[in-house]
Amino acid sequence: MKNASAWFAALGGALVLGTMVWSEVIVQQPDKKEGKVIVTYWEKWTNFEADAMRVVVEEFNRSQDKIYVEYLSVSNVSNKTMLSTAGGIPPDVAGLFGGNIAQYASNGAVMPLDELAKEAGIERQQYIPVYWNMCTYRGKLWALPTTPASTALHYNKGILEEAGLDPNKPPTTIEELDEMDAKILKRDASGKIVKMGFLPTEPGWWPWSWPSFFGGSLWNGYDKITMATPENVRAYEWVRSYTKRYGLGTVQAFQQGFGGFDSPQNGFLDNKLASVIQGVWMYNFITKHNPEMKWAAVPFPHPADRPDKANTTVIDLDVLVIPRGAKHPKEAFEFIKFVQSQKGMELLCLGQKKHSPLIKVSDEFIQAHPNPYVMLFAQQALSVNAASPPKTPIWPQWGDEIKTALEKINTDPNLSVKDALLAVEQKMQIQLDRVLESERKLGILPEDGSRPSEDQL
Amino acid sequence: MAKMGQSERRQALAGVLFAMPYLIGFSVFLAIPLLTSLYNSFTEYSVLREPVWIGVRNYADVFKDELFYKSLGNTLFFAAFSIPLSTIMAIALAMLLNTKVRGQAFYRTFFFLPSLVPAVPMAILWLYLFNGDFGIVNAVLKIPYGALGLEPPNWLSSVDHAKNVLITMSVWTVGNAMIIYLAGLQEIPQQLYEASDLDGASPWQKTKNVTIPLLSPVIMFNVLMGIIGSLQYFTQAYVLFPGGAPARSTYMYSMYIYDTAFRDLRMGYASALGWVMFVIILTLTFTAFRFFDKKVHYEG
Amino acid sequence: MAKSDKTLTQQNLRAVVVIHAALVILSLAFLVPLIWMISTSLKEASEARAFPPTWIPKEFLWGNYSEAFNYNKENLGYAPFAVYGRNSLILCLLTVVGTVVSNAVVAYSFARLKWPGRDVAFALTLATMMVPFPVLMVPLFGLFKELGWVGTLRPLWVPAWFGAAFNIFLLRQFYRTIPNELSEAARIDGCSEWGIFSRVILPLAKPALAVVALFSFMGTWNDFLGPLLYLQRQESFTLAVGLQSYSSQAGGTPLHLLMAASTMVVAPVIILFFFTQKQFIQGIAATGLKG
Repeated sequence: MKNASAWFAALGGALVLGTMVWSEVIVQQPDKKEGKVIVTYWEKWTNFEADAMRVVVEEFNRSQDKIYVEYLSVSNVSNKTMLSTAGGIPPDVAGLFGGNIAQYASNGAVMPLDELAKEAGIERQQYIPVYWNMCTYRGKLWALPTTPASTALHYNKGILEEAGLDPNKPPTTIEELDEMDAKILKRDASGKIVKMGFLPTEPGWWPWSWPSFFGGSLWNGYDKITMATPENVRAYEWVRSYTKRYGLGTVQAFQQGFGGFDSPQNGFLDNKLASVIQGVWMYNFITKHNPEMKWAAVPFPHPADRPDKANTTVIDLDVLVIPRGAKHPKEAFEFIKFVQSQKGMELLCLGQKKHSPLIKVSDEFIQAHPNPYVMLFAQQALSVNAASPPKTPIWPQWGDEIKTALEKINTDPNLSVKDALLAVEQKMQIQLDRVLESERKLGILPEDGSRPSEDQL
Repeated sequence: MAKMGQSERRQALAGVLFAMPYLIGFSVFLAIPLLTSLYNSFTEYSVLREPVWIGVRNYADVFKDELFYKSLGNTLFFAAFSIPLSTIMAIALAMLLNTKVRGQAFYRTFFFLPSLVPAVPMAILWLYLFNGDFGIVNAVLKIPYGALGLEPPNWLSSVDHAKNVLITMSVWTVGNAMIIYLAGLQEIPQQLYEASDLDGASPWQKTKNVTIPLLSPVIMFNVLMGIIGSLQYFTQAYVLFPGGAPARSTYMYSMYIYDTAFRDLRMGYASALGWVMFVIILTLTFTAFRFFDKKVHYEG
Repeated sequence: MAKSDKTLTQQNLRAVVVIHAALVILSLAFLVPLIWMISTSLKEASEARAFPPTWIPKEFLWGNYSEAFNYNKENLGYAPFAVYGRNSLILCLLTVVGTVVSNAVVAYSFARLKWPGRDVAFALTLATMMVPFPVLMVPLFGLFKELGWVGTLRPLWVPAWFGAAFNIFLLRQFYRTIPNELSEAARIDGCSEWGIFSRVILPLAKPALAVVALFSFMGTWNDFLGPLLYLQRQESFTLAVGLQSYSSQAGGTPLHLLMAASTMVVAPVIILFFFTQKQFIQGIAATGLKG
């Protein structure tokens, strides 16, 4: 009996010990593969976008025999990268969003790339300015682009035709856009909306960008947040006009009928919504889920009284960074350099069906590109009205505040838009002041508080 | 006497040795982190840089922070409804399960099942149950609402209703508390009920005069744990309503701390928020304890 | 006992009917979401989103389960579900064993051994139940970073081996119900404290230990925030966080596959409860959780 329980205890102990060892083994990461240094690369993409990057990675892995890049799709990549950098075990390369760079740079979470870029012959002039600009903060280079995006109004010609509109005369002003929506709107017998022309909150990915279309701006680019200018108020009033006109509950029910973005139940792809503001990638989803659709892309409309705001476009950028504490920064940069080459970049951007962030584009790229509107997006990126998110470490939080403010505005027809925006301004101005103060203390900014030159912002 | 002293000493040594794992764990995983967090709350800090002392600025900021009040308000709202409702539900279920009817093993399992569903599948399930367009909740509610000529609400995107979804979920997962109440009920001596039967007491009187008083220590325990737990409420809200959508109406205090610490890397401020939460929990628990202490029926 | 001869009076019969009705209706309310989950897991993608919803799938697509199991396998090179499941099980084993062993030992000290400072230490222990995790989140992350443990499973199971206030409290309550004479007799026989603990107390404590084990299993299986903070590589994810990454990818996993995956996550826990429920409830009754 005593023997039996001793055996039992020993067996149990061995099992536990074995499991402990196992729990260590499964988190082990090999450092080398067939004699090559392994570079871990975390990226946000899934599906065909990931496939395109995998092709580039394989191409790079084949091109030399010292480095092996391991591509991993990571959901919620910016948060995960921040956590792992804070935890001291970051990946060697991470694919972040352009809007994250200032926060990462200011916290010392990523490595400056100036030296390495210089050695590799990577220079500002090679890039479309708006994209290069997004990769810098306080005069230093922290990231390099992967795929860029600008946005335009995508519209469904079929729905326009059905509503008796000329499918080749899409709206060019905001007022015409509203008119188009009014003509297309359809309800069923119970009053439920079944079709709409446009809906600013679908998918509502860039809530911060609406002021740009109306000539407003979120800040002075350095130290003063200006959320509640008349232009900004006008922009958000216009966004709210849709729920005001049709009733909040009705619009919400209409929107909840849509499935995930990448699904045939996407409102636009399901022929329920005649137009959306979307990026260059939308082409892929149209071909995937609704190849029959007749569609076109045009610059997003501008207010009739602001013709100077024609060709306003939202700029989005995916970038590569090397987190601080990465084990193989040199090897990681070799890979980044490969992606920045015209060949690597075009392979990637063609695979993802986007335009290239580089100024130089090969003829083959344009000819082989299946998106009939690719040149429109490339030109939009050069527009003087290209709008990118503010470059400041507080942006993730600030952007979130704007998103919430817009949710509040949208769901409360009586809320003063100005007050909602002022609340964001007051809250974020304090944070901005703090950041500037500590950057002055750290010597990143001139101590006398003067505004640094444009290329030092 | 000397011998007694020796055995006492030996016992004391054994006692400390037996308690050693916890004494170590307490210091390393609790006391030291707690003090570190107190220190951090007076600094500007991200794990990537050394903390910089800034005095009480973080605390001053907390009390001016609109989002602090918002998230605390949401959390208290949730607690104020979820604790009483789940307590009533759990006790009611336990009392039904404590009756002598057939099939109790099945019912017991049925009521407990929802508590076994992990937060993420649960949230996903809830998301589709309450969907305003094709969810089954509204498919059912359409009937009564329709009779009144109304439309059922869009639970997930309505500022007024989103929190109710979380409260419903908490009432649905009372299994653990229910089992604890059931165990408590089984301890109540049968004679007490028989005695009140002889007095001709109605079921309601029996509940009021026998069950609830004798169950009161268990109720107190569960309510105190409920207060502590619901103030830290995180997972379901985080998964079901990312960022506290719509319009932060479901943004919970813990989510705010998590975002502040690990999205914005403002760990000093997050620590201050954490300490304020700790103080609130202490106050509420203590108040509830005082309240119960007068009413709880202790045996022996 | 005078009442037993009138058990089936009309009044009693009515009471039984009412109770049954209440139990059946409530059971339905508690089961409907789960039934819907299983029913959706067997549907076709479009049927899953149909309105009005269908209760019984037009066709039972059992293949959804293998599809959910192997979801995204071609890109990852492994079936994520199997890997997450393995990680969850490893973690559960280590936490459950650690929790049971450490708390059994520590609670014994608090319940049955006299040592200076014991009562103060116990009061402190109870007080720690009020410390919210968000206060500790940041410093613990810093601590595990210094130890180089971030990205491993260690932050999730090592602390379990050092006891936890709630379990100590639970077991202490139980130990105190064991008559003191038993251990005194053994002590007089010259038994060491370890001997008394392992040979006299432990065998009697099985029901209470089972409760601790089950609570700890469920807690670990469902834990979300811990893995969210400490696990970095997808291969080390547990099911709880792994499922989150299923659903939050850009396009989102189709609903029917998510429901199939969810069913697979829930099933083991349900089975475990099914086989242990009796001991579970008796165990809780035995610990006399009464504050």
